Amino acid sequence: MSAPYAEQNTHNALPKTNHDELSRQHFVRSFKEHIVESLHPGLKLAYEKRAKPQYVVKHQREPGTLQEVGEVMKQDQHYQAWSSLLRTSQEMMWSSTQIPVERAIADLAANATDNKLGSLTLNPQLGIPSYHTAVDIHCQPGGYHTEYIEGDVAQGAIYDRAVYLYAMGQMGSNNADMGDSTVAWLKQTQPEFSPSRILDMGCAVGHSTLPYATGYPAAEVHAIDVAAPMLRYAHARASAMGSAVHFSQQNAEHTQFEDESFDLVVSHILLHETSSVAIKNVIKECYRVLKPGGWMLHVETPPYGDMEPFDQFLFDWDSENNNEPFWRKSHQLDLDALARNAGFTSEVLQTMVPSAFQETQRTNTFQGGDFGGGGVWFVYGCQK
Amino acid sequence: MTEPSSDDQLELQRKAKGKRPYYFSNPDVDKLLSMIMALTGELAIARDRIDTLERVAATKGLFSSEDIENFELNADALQARADRHRQLLREVNRIIVGELEDLEEANEEDYTAVVEQVEQDET
Repeated sequence: MSAPYAEQNTHNALPKTNHDELSRQHFVRSFKEHIVESLHPGLKLAYEKRAKPQYVVKHQREPGTLQEVGEVMKQDQHYQAWSSLLRTSQEMMWSSTQIPVERAIADLAANATDNKLGSLTLNPQLGIPSYHTAVDIHCQPGGYHTEYIEGDVAQGAIYDRAVYLYAMGQMGSNNADMGDSTVAWLKQTQPEFSPSRILDMGCAVGHSTLPYATGYPAAEVHAIDVAAPMLRYAHARASAMGSAVHFSQQNAEHTQFEDESFDLVVSHILLHETSSVAIKNVIKECYRVLKPGGWMLHVETPPYGDMEPFDQFLFDWDSENNNEPFWRKSHQLDLDALARNAGFTSEVLQTMVPSAFQETQRTNTFQGGDFGGGGVWFVYGCQK
Repeated sequence: MTEPSSDDQLELQRKAKGKRPYYFSNPDVDKLLSMIMALTGELAIARDRIDTLERVAATKGLFSSEDIENFELNADALQARADRHRQLLREVNRIIVGELEDLEEANEEDYTAVVEQVEQDET
C-alpha cells in the first residue's frame, strides 16, 4: 500500500487552479520526482565509471575539489542530460505556478487586503539590494520583489505554490519544515527558553515564520523581508491560517528595531541569498537587536566542509545553474569568525537538526534539485 | 506598473533575469529537450483531462466513447481550439522566445560578474 497522494494545505490566500492548471503543476512535481529517483543516481555511476578515470589518466590523481570534479563531470553526457532536465523542470515549475496567478492577479491582490490578524507595514522607500536585483534568485522570473499592479501579491502567491512543488511535498503541507524542525529542536534542547519577542529575517511568504507563532503562542512575532509582494501575501496567508504576525518591509542588514529588543532572531535559507558584506551586516544586526541571553539561529543547508568533492560538486549545482550566485561562497564561510566579528562571545552552534516532517520517501542526501530531501537542516547560531 | 484590462491580459515576466546555462556541446540539444518536456507536460495534462471526463461521464451515465467519435464541431469550437493551440505553442517555444528577450535587453549582465559582485563586495 502506497501512501495517499500528499497535497499542500489550501488557505484563502492561495490562488485557485482550474483542472488543467493543477494537472500542469502535478506534472512538474512528477517530473522533479523522476529526476531525483531515476536520473540522479546515475550521476555517481557516471562519475565513478567515466569521469573520474578520465581525470586520473590526465592528472595521475583523483579530483580533490569540486572544481576538479566539474572539469570532467561537465563533459559527461549523463550529467549534461540531468542538468538540462533539472534546469528545464525549474523553468516549468515557475511557469506552471505563474499561469493561475497571471489569470487572477487583480482578484488575488483584492483578496489579500482583508486581514484580521497581525499587521503589515510597508516601506516603498526601501531599496531592493543589488544581490536580489542582479539576477532573479532561483530563477523565479521577477525575483521576490517585482510588482505588476497596485497592492500586488503575485510573486508571493507564485512562490508559495512553487516551494511545495520544488520540495515535492517534503517540507510538509504548509512548507513549514524548517520552522517546525527548529522549534521542535529548541523545545527539546532549551525547554526553559520562553521567548517573548521573536524576529524572522527574510521571511518571504512566512512558511517558516508561522511555526514560531504556534510554537510560542505568548510571543510577539515579527517578520521582515525586502519584497513587498511577499509581505502582502505573507500577511494574508498568516491571517488566513489563524496566526498573528507583524510583517514589515525591512532589510535584515539594518532594521529599525531597537537594541536588545528580541529574545530570538531566526532566518531560514536567507544567508545564502545575500552577499559577503550583507551576511556580515545581518549577523551584526542579529547581535544588536538581541537581548543578552537571547538566541540567534540561522537555518541553512550544510556547509561543504565535510562533504566529498563529488557531493560538493552536485550540491553546488544551484550556484551556477539556478541563479544562486552566493550559494557556493556562503557554504564555504568561516562561520565562527562571522559570529565573533559581530560581537558574539559564547560557543558558536553549528549542528544538524532532524526534520520534523516524517517522510518515508526521503532520499537522505543533499543534492541539486532536491533541497528538502536531506531529512535534516543545518542550524548555525549563537547565544548573546 | 501597468493595470490589466479585460481585452489586454497582463502578462507576467516569464524569463528569469540571468544568463541561461546550456549543458550539451550543442545548445540546440538543450532547447529540444526543453521543448520535449514541455510537450510531455501538455500531453500529461490532456490525458488527465480525458481521464477526468471519462470518469465523470461514467459516474453520471452521460455519454459513451461512440458519442465522442460522432460529435461535430462548430466554428466557435474550432476557433477556441485554435486559440488554445496558440497558447500551447507559446509554452513549448518559451525557451526560444526567452532568448530573444535577452537579446532585446542588450544590457544583460554577465552571470560570472554577478557571482564576483556578491562574493567580493568588500569595499
